[in-house]
Amino acid sequence: MTATTQAPTTAAPVIGAGVTRVDGPLKVTGAVPYADDLAPRDALVGVLVGATIASGEISLVDASDALAAPGVVAVLSHHDAPRVVRPDEASADERAPMPPFQDATVRFHGDYVAMVVAQTREEAVHAASLLRVSYDVAEPVVDLNDPRALRETDDPAGADSVRGDLERGVAAADVVIEADYVTGDNTNNPLGLFSACAEWDGDALHMWATTQWPFNTADCLAEAWGIPREDVRVECPYLGGGFGSGLRPWPYIHAAAMAARVVGQPVRVVLSRPQMFTGVGHRPETVQHVRLGARRDGTLTAVEHTATIPVATDDDNPENIVSGTRQGYAVEHLRADVDQVRLHISPPGSMRAPGEAQGNFALETALDELAVELGIDPVELRMRNEAVTNPDQDDLPWSSKALDQCLRRGAELIGWDDRDPAPRSMREGDQLIGYGMAAVSFFYFQQPCTVRVVVRRDGSAAVHCAAMDIGTGTYTIVTQVAAERLGLDLSEVEVVLGDSSLPASPPAGGSGLAMAISNATALAVSGVLGDLGLDGAPGRDVLARAVGDRDEVRAEATATPPDPAELGMSPSGAFGAKFAKVRVDADLGLVRVERLVSVIDCGQVLNERTARSQVVGGTVGGIGHALLEHTVTDLHAGPQTGRVTNAHLADYLVAVNADVPDLEVEFVGGPDRLNTVGVKGVGEVGLCGVAAAIGNAVFHATGRRIRRLPITPDLLL
Amino acid sequence: MRDFTYVLADDVASAGSLVHNDAVARAVQTPDDVAYVAGGTTQYDLMRDGVWSPGTLVDISRLPLADIEVSDDLLVVGAAVTMADLARHPSVVDLDVLRDSLLLAASPQLRTMATVGGNVLQRTRCRYFRDPTVTQCNKRVPGSGCAAVEGTARTHAVLGVDAGCIAVHASDLAVALVALDARVRTHGPHGGRTISVTQLHVRADEDPARDNTLVAGELITHLEIPLPDARSGYLKVRDRASYEFALTSAAVVARVEDGVLAHVAIGLGGVGSVPWRATRAEEVLRGQRASLALFEEAAAAELADAFTVPGTAFKPELARRTLVRQLRDVTEVTA
Ligand SMILES: Cc1cc2nc3c(=O)[nH]c(=O)nc-3n(C[C@H](O)[C@H](O)[C@H](O)COP(=O)(O)OP(=O)(O)OC[C@H]3O[C@@H](n4cnc5c(N)ncnc54)[C@H](O)[C@@H]3O)c2cc1C
Ligand code: SF4
Repeated sequence: MTATTQAPTTAAPVIGAGVTRVDGPLKVTGAVPYADDLAPRDALVGVLVGATIASGEISLVDASDALAAPGVVAVLSHHDAPRVVRPDEASADERAPMPPFQDATVRFHGDYVAMVVAQTREEAVHAASLLRVSYDVAEPVVDLNDPRALRETDDPAGADSVRGDLERGVAAADVVIEADYVTGDNTNNPLGLFSACAEWDGDALHMWATTQWPFNTADCLAEAWGIPREDVRVECPYLGGGFGSGLRPWPYIHAAAMAARVVGQPVRVVLSRPQMFTGVGHRPETVQHVRLGARRDGTLTAVEHTATIPVATDDDNPENIVSGTRQGYAVEHLRADVDQVRLHISPPGSMRAPGEAQGNFALETALDELAVELGIDPVELRMRNEAVTNPDQDDLPWSSKALDQCLRRGAELIGWDDRDPAPRSMREGDQLIGYGMAAVSFFYFQQPCTVRVVVRRDGSAAVHCAAMDIGTGTYTIVTQVAAERLGLDLSEVEVVLGDSSLPASPPAGGSGLAMAISNATALAVSGVLGDLGLDGAPGRDVLARAVGDRDEVRAEATATPPDPAELGMSPSGAFGAKFAKVRVDADLGLVRVERLVSVIDCGQVLNERTARSQVVGGTVGGIGHALLEHTVTDLHAGPQTGRVTNAHLADYLVAVNADVPDLEVEFVGGPDRLNTVGVKGVGEVGLCGVAAAIGNAVFHATGRRIRRLPITPDLLL
Repeated sequence: MRDFTYVLADDVASAGSLVHNDAVARAVQTPDDVAYVAGGTTQYDLMRDGVWSPGTLVDISRLPLADIEVSDDLLVVGAAVTMADLARHPSVVDLDVLRDSLLLAASPQLRTMATVGGNVLQRTRCRYFRDPTVTQCNKRVPGSGCAAVEGTARTHAVLGVDAGCIAVHASDLAVALVALDARVRTHGPHGGRTISVTQLHVRADEDPARDNTLVAGELITHLEIPLPDARSGYLKVRDRASYEFALTSAAVVARVEDGVLAHVAIGLGGVGSVPWRATRAEEVLRGQRASLALFEEAAAAELADAFTVPGTAFKPELARRTLVRQLRDVTEVTA
């Protein structure tokens, strides 16, 4: 079964119009089929059991009592679980997360050591408590600053870069500032707990799993089991939030497939909330160092940005912390460098704006410090160093860039020039008031995407793609693009997504899907119109006549990322400017955000409503990143080393309504020149820069520079 | 999760008399392995997490304990009254300290389920206590040690604690209650009795394994809250603007006559292993001329012997500032 959507009849479709989500009625009535809703209802239940040490070897999993407990069907552990191949993550030179139960090694606290399969969840949970797992404990290394940790200076993320001669740039500077910045570990925490249900039919595997990339998950499962790709099907038409945590083929997915194989029946695994902290990635903490050199007039002469991030002991998921630094400003002399440190922590993964969220905080805070040092307005400093061409790509002209408009408009909206720029100069009663800003140059990410367009005998159309809509509005924008180009009403286009058996798609990640899928849709529409001997946007009657007495006419097209050199331009990601107004209690150190203005250049806005919602959601995440969210791991030596201490929604603080003011969002700029539709991604730019803008506002309010996230009251006492 | 028996203590059979309610009578007489449940917002969490799984649960939410009575200057609140209902009672809407201790707690959904009896008996939020895979926890497994003291302890207590346990008592309501000189009425094996809220809880540095002084099977039936002839207020300091336990809080009830503190009672939250009655601060303040300098002195006296670990090192300072701010706001002293 596959989920489809059917839009209500509305006025003529227009790209850019804020039409309501085509899946809105299904969502608000509870009718959307989340992956697990499609899975067999009579599946057995698998409950995963995590290691209670962070490093060592399992000496024994004694399941005798568990197997004797009511309802228990099987217990899987490394003793007897099926052996599978560890897959590569598709189209990346990276190993996917290690499938579970393949050896006796414990790599982190919470690493799966066993799974109990029972008739009901309660029975499985109870039996899990009867398992006796013994370990040969080794000493874990979990602290990023631990000198024993293995440091890797290679560059798997393609982050490192040298331009010019840094020391010459520093020598040419009138002012040099340098400081260390620390960002804490964060956990995505989508509300929907991740689930996977597997059913085998002979050697063919059917899965319903929470994923932001069904196509790749199917690839990885085929590789793991050594079965033909066409015998694997992964469905996920909807999920309850992802934020990047659904991008990788996580071990729990493999566990469901293994269990179903062993018991010969469908098995469903649903992670618990604590397991969501160790089983589906997290935004790695960072320690960063930034050195900036500038002339008196604010011209940057040197930028150095280095970072250390953790990776799990047996995993590859390095993040590029410095992408924004490399392309953000016109500076001749630059050194950017990211090192990885191997720790006994759960494998990190993407969390909204991976790398850029952390790196932007350091760079844009450092720029604020430089502005203060130079006595130059922070907005002015950014404009003075604008990268008119992309310094990170042979100084090619950007395919589009409206960052200066973002900065000007943002300043205007927040009343930047009306503030008293002196630190700790604005106060109302106990409340210190501060304004701060940051700029964002988000990276461009694009992978090939294939879309099939079907025109039916009645002139209506369907669009098919394996891609996922993670709640961003993919169903809606694809409907809009297809409807506009075919001359159909929105209700005459059916969009089918979230199924690995459909044409190949990139991940719903990297702010890349809207661009990829809208262009592929436009290309496939052109293809089908060509096949029908039509052009323009013919409309339903003409389409129906052209299809004639055939059932349907289909065309597939692939949007492939262009070669910048050939194009003579540098593909742009989104740009943005963030302006924050905060209140800080002078005695209690409480920071509350009073206003947050985001002005975004994301090229052609496909849908004003869903695009705005992306920026609003991103900003909420940014407020959490700035002030609240922090996954805390026990670092002290002892039995709890490496355990996440706040793996619970009462203790891991995400922003609630009271933390979020009415958010102001505006879009500037026009269609990007790179692709036919003119789109750039908007999924992550909303989060970036929020932390730096808030931190800079806290400095303006209090005169205190906090170079650490989250900025909590104890840091401001 | 362990199997358990659920008993709804329905009031109909016993004609409204608690003593004759079968379920309660059984719980009182043979209390081993029995727990009461009211709103369930703490109890069910503990059971799901495998922290405390009694064999029998006696649900008291249908007992005739949901009334609020006011006589002269005493508010008598049934233990099964919800936090939401108490907060909107006419006698409470103007009693700032009580109202805000309720409305700044938890979330609207939780306050609609949670009862005041359950609130004052809620168990600590310490994540080491609430995760049975953690082996060192003197509260859960007496004598096993304390993982928090060397671990992550930002939300833990600094008063009434030692290295054996630094668990915080996280109730906001109880902090207001100690400042209001409130009492609990109970029904237990020895009949009924009345206990001051300041005597209800057990300090972690006295016995981490015991949360309170109730005997097994003893049921809280009512809260008795004297209505003060004084101004009051509750200040709650927390990272998140809503839906979070206190990092620090201060409940202040005070009356200033001719510039002199004629009455002052203070509860501190977020810092104590019990809802903390700040008697040392009160001693400094009582009968003295109210001033910011005096408030500073009083707050410093109260926190002087705080026991801190690296994670809680900021708390005494934050608690001092919280108390000074709230004394200032309740007394409206400006200098
Ligand atoms: C996410 C979350 C956030 C929260 N935030 C806050 C907060 O900010 N501030 C705050 O103060 N609280 C907070 N709480 C705690 C909440 O207020 C308590 O869980 C609630 O008040 C307990 O009441 P209940 O009726 O649900 O108790 P139950 O869970 O039913 O019982 C709690 C305990 O008391 C016992 N018990 C209950 N009633 C009686 C009685 N009459 N006599 C004897 N024993 C009894 C039970 O056996 C049990 O052990 C929060 C809770 C959660 C889950
Ligand atoms: S602080 Fe108390 S409750 Fe927490 S781990 Fe230590 S002994 Fe247990």
